[in-house]
Amino acid sequence: MDPADLERLIDRELRALPPPRAPRTLLPRVMAAVRVSADRPWYARAWLTWPAGWQVASVLALLATAAGAAVLWPTLQAAVNALTFVADVRGDVAETARDVEVATTAVSVLWRTLLAPVVPYAFGLVFLMCVACAVFGTALNHLVFGKALR
Amino acid sequence: MTDADAFEAFVRAHQDMVFATAVRLLGNVAEAEDVAQTVFLKAFERFDQIGSSPAAAGWLRTVARNASLNHLTRYRSRWRFFSELAGAEAEPEAAYETRLVADSSPAHAFERAEARGMLEQALRGLPEHQRVPLVLFHFEEMSYEAIASTLGVSLAKVKTDIHRGREALRRQLHGSR
Repeated sequence: MDPADLERLIDRELRALPPPRAPRTLLPRVMAAVRVSADRPWYARAWLTWPAGWQVASVLALLATAAGAAVLWPTLQAAVNALTFVADVRGDVAETARDVEVATTAVSVLWRTLLAPVVPYAFGLVFLMCVACAVFGTALNHLVFGKALR
Repeated sequence: MTDADAFEAFVRAHQDMVFATAVRLLGNVAEAEDVAQTVFLKAFERFDQIGSSPAAAGWLRTVARNASLNHLTRYRSRWRFFSELAGAEAEPEAAYETRLVADSSPAHAFERAEARGMLEQALRGLPEHQRVPLVLFHFEEMSYEAIASTLGVSLAKVKTDIHRGREALRRQLHGSR
């Protein structure tokens, strides 16, 4: 069949169809839902159904919020920048603290593994050298200045 | 007459049209009833404006159509998927069982009414990708271009699906006569 004829045929047949009847349950369902909807407070319904005064008030509140945000924006931006600076400084301090901690740990490890075992011997050696120096100085003093005084 | 009575009368006057729009697009009575309820709840919220308006029927029809299409959108990816898979020879699920006789007797009128009921069932039994554009074209009087734009598919696909839907209905019509 030619597409145009087919379109006319189907169009005629479909338009001749009576509209399907709504089920009997639809009306009670709708009225029950309407009662539930009507029991809701006005602010819980669609904005378009709010009382006119509240619609105006809500629009004014929205505009005030937007204007306030626009006015406070530079201040807010400055505050954000300040917070960013503080955060940067805090970041630097934290980084330095981390470096110090690493260095301290390295020194501590070196101390425990390499230096601590030899420190008593080093002190003993230094003490002996001091004693030796004292003995040598006394002897030298006795020999040189003792003869001279005689 | 109270507001509730007025609204009940309003629903009684328009419920068949709203339900018909929804059920032909959705092809499912339960879903169409849900959509019709949603439509009337929206109407209730604006009943002060549309209750006595002569444009109320048109407003209800438009809202019912959009609500039905929105309902279908939730299943749109599934719809497209099966649309691609569906063969060219998709058949309506319902079949005509009666043969009409070409006279003007009461029996003929009865059989004609029965055949129309079956055509309605055949329309609802079409695959969704054929039924929706077909209903939008023949009942909602939308152009091919508007249907393609509304459904987000190509113009060629709309024409192909509508043609296949018509062919399927024609076979059913010829099978019943």
